[in-house]
Amino acid sequence: MTAVAPGPRGRLDGAATPHLEMRGITKAFGSLLANDHVNLEVQDREIHAVVGENGAGKTTLMNILYGLIHPDEGEILIDGQPVRIRGPRDAIAAGIGMVHQHFQLVPVMSVAENVVLGQEPGGIVLDRAAAVRQVRDLSERFGLIVDPTARVETLPVGIQQRVELLKILYRGSRLLVFDEPTAVLTPQETDELFEILRGLVAGGKTVILITHKLNEVMAISERVTVLRQGRNAGVLETARTSPPEIARAMVGREVLLRVERDEAHLGEERLRLEGVTADSDRGLPALAGIDLAVRAGEIVGIAGVSGNGQLELAEVIAGLRPITAGHIYLQGKEVGAQPAAERRANGLAYIPEDRHARGLVLPFEIKDNLILGSQSRPPFAVRGQRNSAAIDQRAEDLIHQFDIRPPNPEAPVSSLSGGNQQKVVVARELAEDPKVMVAAEPTRGLDVGATEFIHQELIRKRDEGLAILLISSELDEIFSLSDTIAVIYQGRIVEVMPSATADRERVGLLMAGGTVESAVPTAAQIAEAAATLGSPGVTGDGPHGEGGA
Amino acid sequence: MTVATLPIERPAGRLRQLVASGIGPVLAVVLAIIVGGVVVLVSGSNPITAYQQMLVGAVGSPFDISETFISSIPLILAAYAVSFAFRCGLFNIGAEGQLYMGAIASTWLATTFPNWPGIVLIILCIVAAMIAGGAWAGIAGWLKAKTGAHEVITTMMLSYVAIDISHWLLEAGPMTPSNAYGTPESGPIPPQAAFPIILPSWILPNARLNASLFLTILAGVVFAWILWRTPLGYEIRAVGFNPKAAAYGGINVARRLVVAMVIAGAFAGLAGMVPVWVQMRLYDSFSPGYGYEAIAVALVGRNSAIGIFLAGLLYGAMIHGSVAMQANANISGFLVQILQALVLFFVGAELLIRWLLRRGGLRALVEAPA
Ligand SMILES: Nc1ncnc2c1ncn2[C@@H]1O[C@H](COP(=O)(O)OP(=O)(O)O)[C@@H](O)[C@H]1O
Ligand SMILES: [Mg+2]
Repeated sequence: MTAVAPGPRGRLDGAATPHLEMRGITKAFGSLLANDHVNLEVQDREIHAVVGENGAGKTTLMNILYGLIHPDEGEILIDGQPVRIRGPRDAIAAGIGMVHQHFQLVPVMSVAENVVLGQEPGGIVLDRAAAVRQVRDLSERFGLIVDPTARVETLPVGIQQRVELLKILYRGSRLLVFDEPTAVLTPQETDELFEILRGLVAGGKTVILITHKLNEVMAISERVTVLRQGRNAGVLETARTSPPEIARAMVGREVLLRVERDEAHLGEERLRLEGVTADSDRGLPALAGIDLAVRAGEIVGIAGVSGNGQLELAEVIAGLRPITAGHIYLQGKEVGAQPAAERRANGLAYIPEDRHARGLVLPFEIKDNLILGSQSRPPFAVRGQRNSAAIDQRAEDLIHQFDIRPPNPEAPVSSLSGGNQQKVVVARELAEDPKVMVAAEPTRGLDVGATEFIHQELIRKRDEGLAILLISSELDEIFSLSDTIAVIYQGRIVEVMPSATADRERVGLLMAGGTVESAVPTAAQIAEAAATLGSPGVTGDGPHGEGGA
Repeated sequence: MTVATLPIERPAGRLRQLVASGIGPVLAVVLAIIVGGVVVLVSGSNPITAYQQMLVGAVGSPFDISETFISSIPLILAAYAVSFAFRCGLFNIGAEGQLYMGAIASTWLATTFPNWPGIVLIILCIVAAMIAGGAWAGIAGWLKAKTGAHEVITTMMLSYVAIDISHWLLEAGPMTPSNAYGTPESGPIPPQAAFPIILPSWILPNARLNASLFLTILAGVVFAWILWRTPLGYEIRAVGFNPKAAAYGGINVARRLVVAMVIAGAFAGLAGMVPVWVQMRLYDSFSPGYGYEAIAVALVGRNSAIGIFLAGLLYGAMIHGSVAMQANANISGFLVQILQALVLFFVGAELLIRWLLRRGGLRALVEAPA
């Protein structure tokens, strides 16, 4: 391993009493063992990562620690002393604070009011000035820059998270638990959060960080406890392990973190955009003349900071957003004015960026979601009637082929995990034997195993000649899948380059609006670009893995 | 694929699902009966007598069974109109107006061509009722698709318009026969166009229950068939759950909204025709609010064909049974309205509880003993 930002290490002598010990924690939900004799040991002033795939039992374990769930078995020790945690009140008294994935803030109240809520200074009347003063003190002491008088609802998510953190610091918590804190953050905000965590540990706090992102584990933790299907799957020292080893422990088998792909065999041009412009939902110009081409057997990756027109680009191609000018050609035919259904029928598939809002009808059964888009075509509809035999057959085939769990065609998709929901979308979009696919954020929110699977599927289809336009805000994903990289900035493709010769730094610079030939980028642009590059590659030991935080 | 796949799970049968989803409403009815009984008790009467009289009044004789069905049928059909639209995400609270349009159109046809052969006339009247109701509802659907006008407002407004049109037509208006002597009513439905009576006279002489019962059953079959067995129904349900995903799936959302409203209105149009074909004349203000009660029936029936049929029968039985209860047990007819409200309340409460439970955030709370 190279390039891991070092955390404050060196207290791993093992002799000291751990700050927190959870022993043999067991919790069943019905027949499901969410935690099966799980042990967790966290040293004082350690940043300890708890990792595992979705559903591994991480949140359950932390909810038990915080008193939200009562374990069936097991004990909890703080500084070697057994404690009974009957509810969050006991947990707070024991010095445990938790930043939940869904914030528990009152949106219309100020930062200060939120922070002191429950332990307000002053008598019956809240002493606002004192609250503001205390919160300002606190935020300065820990380097958590927040305006105590700002209304919480006006703050961006990253700052709201700081308010949550201030809240538990205000209560004097020593052990800080973060449940997937980076899921809602931009890469830049993530780096800032990690900086803050390091500061907190230096100031005497202990941190438990729940995540399923390996680069984060490598970047910040000292040790990592791996959970798999409710059981312990190892405790690793970050300095002596590697992303592949952690991934293996998480998934229970070898995982290909780097996608293996052969040379592209390019065929004819399948998708072409010429001077395409379109407006955003708010009626502002979002695409300012896009020129782009994708050929059979090619993956063209659109790199860009999200919000630069990627969503609109995908939707215009799919026929879900009108274009204001320009031309779109699908297999040589102009389709700029065709409705979505016709484009589908002409070989277009689309993995939308937001599977809940666009890609799935959540209350529908798996089998009904697997025919969305083909519902009115044979063999799924014959003479105005649905053909259940064909629908069932497709469900059975795709569930097998993509290992969708639970393998119950009649389970509502809303009951599936995110990874399995995404598999439903990908399976469906690939099933109609498309000629062109727009894949927008195909692995967003997915764990290592599901990501690997979907990457392999995309590569397999590309090798079979599918033309894929990949849109992703993860540079790693762009670099590891694309044959050609196109950088989008403010609704324009600013440069197209073969990925073999593409340089990460340059791509980052272009993403931030710097043009290489012309203008010298501003300091802010460089900072933004650097931040994007800052998240170390998932491919820890690969050529793209450098660049620790 | 390198991963081992699991065998396909065969889920529980449809019947079991149906039974499972019926438990809630049945429980709601039981609770409503208990609480309603307490209300009767508190008001100084004997609940056992009250319910006994109501039950006897509803199903105690062939005549009462026949009348209970007659009360139920328009409710059931109108509830199909509410539910069908709801499956497409539309709140059709204007079934009342659609039902008036159906009644007007079918009556006009029958009274205008009184000499046509019965079988032709009745089929054309059924078609006319469905077209009129469908068109009336379709206006609201079209407004929604074109301008985004909310269907709660438009269907409601269109209801008032339809009812006023019926007043104008019947209160010494174009449809009032010259020999009506001031009664606001239409001319008679020609007898050859009547629905055949389905209770044989050796069971009940002069029974009124007619073949519209079969029509209602058929309507339920069609309702379920469209929704579950046709691609159109799939698309309507997809739009109802998630219009954005539907559009993504190539569904023309605007068109589906209109189609769903038209089909819904067709059910309501039928609901309007049937009572006219029982009284064999269209009377002014002939509907006691079928279109509004239907909203409750749809809710209690959980928007399913069978559920609505059963819920409609229950409501019809309560309505007809209350006549005997008032007469024989001397209990106010308001008990029926209280009962209906209680059923609705408990069904609503159950849905609310389920919804709350389903919200992930509350899982932990439910888990943790307070
Ligand atoms: N309150 C609950 N009731 C039933 N099952 C639950 C509950 N909470 C969690 N689970 C299940 O327990 C397993 C572990 O969940 P969780 O701890 O949330 O996993 P993670 O946080 O690692 O993704 C999952 O299969 C999840 O569906
Ligand atoms: Mg979790």
